[in-house]
Amino acid sequence: MNTKNRTVITANQHVLIRLPSEGTKIVELRPSGVVSLGKFGSFLVDGVLGYPFGQSFEIVEGQDVKPILSLQHSSDPKDVSEEPEGDLNKEELTKMFSENNQNIIDIGSKIQKLTNDDIEELKKSGATSSIGQHIIDQMIAGHEGFDKKTLFSQQKYLRRKQQKFLRRFTVEYLGSSQMLQYYIDKDLPRVIDLSEESLGLLMTYGNVRPGGNYLLIDETGGVVLYAMLERMGGEGQVVLVHENEHVNIIALRHAGYSEEYINRMVKTIDYLQFLEPENEKINWEDKSEEELAEMKSSKREQYEKRRERATAINSVIETVQNGNFDALISVSTLHQPTLLPRILDTVGGSRPIVIYNQYKELLLETQHVLTKDKRVLAPSIFETRVRPYQTIPGRMHPLMTMRGGGGYILWGTKVIPQEGITAVGRGISKRKREESPATDATDS
Amino acid sequence: MSFYAYKDIIEAGDLVLAFISRGATKPITVTPGEVLNTRYGQFEHDLMIGMKYGSQMAGKKGYGFIHLLHPTPELWTLSLPHRTQIVYTPDSSYIVQRLGVGPGSRIIEAGTGSASFTHSFARSVGDKGKVFTYEFHEVRYNEAKRELEEHGLMKNTVITHRNVCDDGFEIDNHKVDGDVVFLDLPSPWTAIPHLNKVIAEDRQVGICCFSPCIEQVEKTVKALEDDGWTSIEMVEVAGKRWEARKDMVKHVDDVVKRLKDIQDRKSQGIEKLRNVNSTAPSEVSSTESTPEPPSKKQKRDRGFNPFGKGTRIKEGDDQYEWRDVTKVESEIKSHTSYLTFAYKNPNRKV
Ligand SMILES: C[S@@+](CC[C@H](N)C(=O)[O-])C[C@H]1O[C@@H](n2cnc3c(N)ncnc32)[C@H](O)[C@@H]1O
Repeated sequence: MNTKNRTVITANQHVLIRLPSEGTKIVELRPSGVVSLGKFGSFLVDGVLGYPFGQSFEIVEGQDVKPILSLQHSSDPKDVSEEPEGDLNKEELTKMFSENNQNIIDIGSKIQKLTNDDIEELKKSGATSSIGQHIIDQMIAGHEGFDKKTLFSQQKYLRRKQQKFLRRFTVEYLGSSQMLQYYIDKDLPRVIDLSEESLGLLMTYGNVRPGGNYLLIDETGGVVLYAMLERMGGEGQVVLVHENEHVNIIALRHAGYSEEYINRMVKTIDYLQFLEPENEKINWEDKSEEELAEMKSSKREQYEKRRERATAINSVIETVQNGNFDALISVSTLHQPTLLPRILDTVGGSRPIVIYNQYKELLLETQHVLTKDKRVLAPSIFETRVRPYQTIPGRMHPLMTMRGGGGYILWGTKVIPQEGITAVGRGISKRKREESPATDATDS
Repeated sequence: MSFYAYKDIIEAGDLVLAFISRGATKPITVTPGEVLNTRYGQFEHDLMIGMKYGSQMAGKKGYGFIHLLHPTPELWTLSLPHRTQIVYTPDSSYIVQRLGVGPGSRIIEAGTGSASFTHSFARSVGDKGKVFTYEFHEVRYNEAKRELEEHGLMKNTVITHRNVCDDGFEIDNHKVDGDVVFLDLPSPWTAIPHLNKVIAEDRQVGICCFSPCIEQVEKTVKALEDDGWTSIEMVEVAGKRWEARKDMVKHVDDVVKRLKDIQDRKSQGIEKLRNVNSTAPSEVSSTESTPEPPSKKQKRDRGFNPFGKGTRIKEGDDQYEWRDVTKVESEIKSHTSYLTFAYKNPNRKV
């Protein structure tokens, strides 16, 4: 069974650490262990255990931590009413900004009296929580123009410095969004440019839910599989098709699922077994009790292993032959037009077909093939993009930059065409035909 | 029929989504003796019974067809009777993913509206989770309630007739204990203070407020800050749908060749005319030389016509060369609403 905790920070689990710099890290929380955050310092694991996921902390004396409201706040979390640090009255700010705009000056490094060496020196001088704040204070003191800046830009300046020097972090549950975020930061090609919004759309169009029986092609190292398992909550099954001898689900190593759990939820099959099941089934006959009794223990062990493998392969082949999958979800670089026509019939009637690709052009080709094929109803290509805003009252605007890309999704519904049906309008007068979307339904 | 799991064969009493054409899907309850009338034919319910979900079904007269689809929250969103603005899939799928909605999640949703998102939530949280949805408009409340009952969603969904901005979210006999909040109503900032009594105390709670105007976002952000919500971020989701089309490849060489052909034919025509004029005057030539308005019935010889000018060509016709292209839908939803996300933590060991 899957015993990982989804709500409370628990020992022996992998978690996501979010840093003020917006960097992310995946770490395992070993009891009595120490986690190093590089220039942000290090902390004792035991200090964070028992808090709910999502809690932010600040490193205080040594490697101890204290809980804080968020990465932007340093106030005692119990005192919610306290203003975020350096966060001046918003209305005042807005007013000041328009009046005082002319005083804004360029914060060139030359007007900061603190040199990099000074900062390093300060950092070395002790590991207290006040270090970060101290550095910032010094910087302000050395920044001759600081008081001439508007309150608003002062605040912005502080925030930027906080990101660089404050020793704060948040411990988040390692969900599929966090896992994906981690790979986006570290190794974008690994997840084929998939964005969080595209992942969400894949899961929703795929109608992934508890108890489903899904066919999956996942070349993201298991990030998509992880998202599916999350939505299935331990009920149902995923048949995962892979192109190498062994399946790559490296992302699941951080997932905190036991081997049994994964074996129960995920069945793997390679393309050879999938497409040529009859050749690939393993002829297996159990040996008799007497034969087994005569076997040496090492031989016996071997026999049991072979038996297990044969049963697993034959069983997954049988699952595929029975078909009737509740969705096909494909996140793959394989040429879909050659693949899909050969596997569509394993998907049940009225179930979703959801194909992700980094490139719209490849889905375009796929859509033309499916349209001709007639087994997928109304396939369309979807693009979804999330645009983040600077979220400060009075100064809301879209952020100046955001990640490009994020991929495309083709969604259609598996249907069962009937031979010899004519659409309204075929062979009827031209004008009528132009009006009739019924012909469109076959064509699209 | 259920929104929680698929079945394969259509039975009497099932909700079936009759896909007539793109943009026209009609929900029907399969009832013996009834007939579905569409512009493309008539479809007898009796014949649907026993068919597989996903089947293409021919009209009574042998032409025209529909597809019989199994309901899902996504297909329902495309066919439901609109009583209000609804949340569409690009927004709802992102909210669900970002807030980590899954089996066991406990959702607080207000208002219910057309219950589009309610269906999606109910599917996702499964039998271990719960959806608490609130609607203060009596007619909408009653319709949503009936619909949720008919769709079998009451297993994990509780709908309440309530003005949440005035009277909050508490429910008799239920510990709401919500960990995901979705507010789609005109003044979320007046509802936010009421949440403290019903959200989980032992784990992080996520919220998304859905508002079309930036002024609403401003007030919402302030209310969230005042109430101790953190990591506040507003985003916008832009969804687009693309169609695969084919565009004819027209080589300039063919244009040149065609112009030459026209030239040749013209001079030939003049030659011909001269010949005609010189040999046999009047009768015959008069019809040939007067330009005739192009008639649809008469198939004219157009000479070299590489792009099929003047004729009706089916996109993708084998006689021509095509290139695959995409075309964005003619009207895109360029702004649905702003999504303001935030989190609230207990900030203590639990
Ligand atoms: C835009 S609709 C919600 C649509 C819904 N999200 C969907 O996807 O179908 C907003 C609904 O909130 C309801 N509403 C507005 N203020 C409310 C309040 N204070 N309490 C409860 N419901 C409210 C309205 O009657 C309306 O039906």
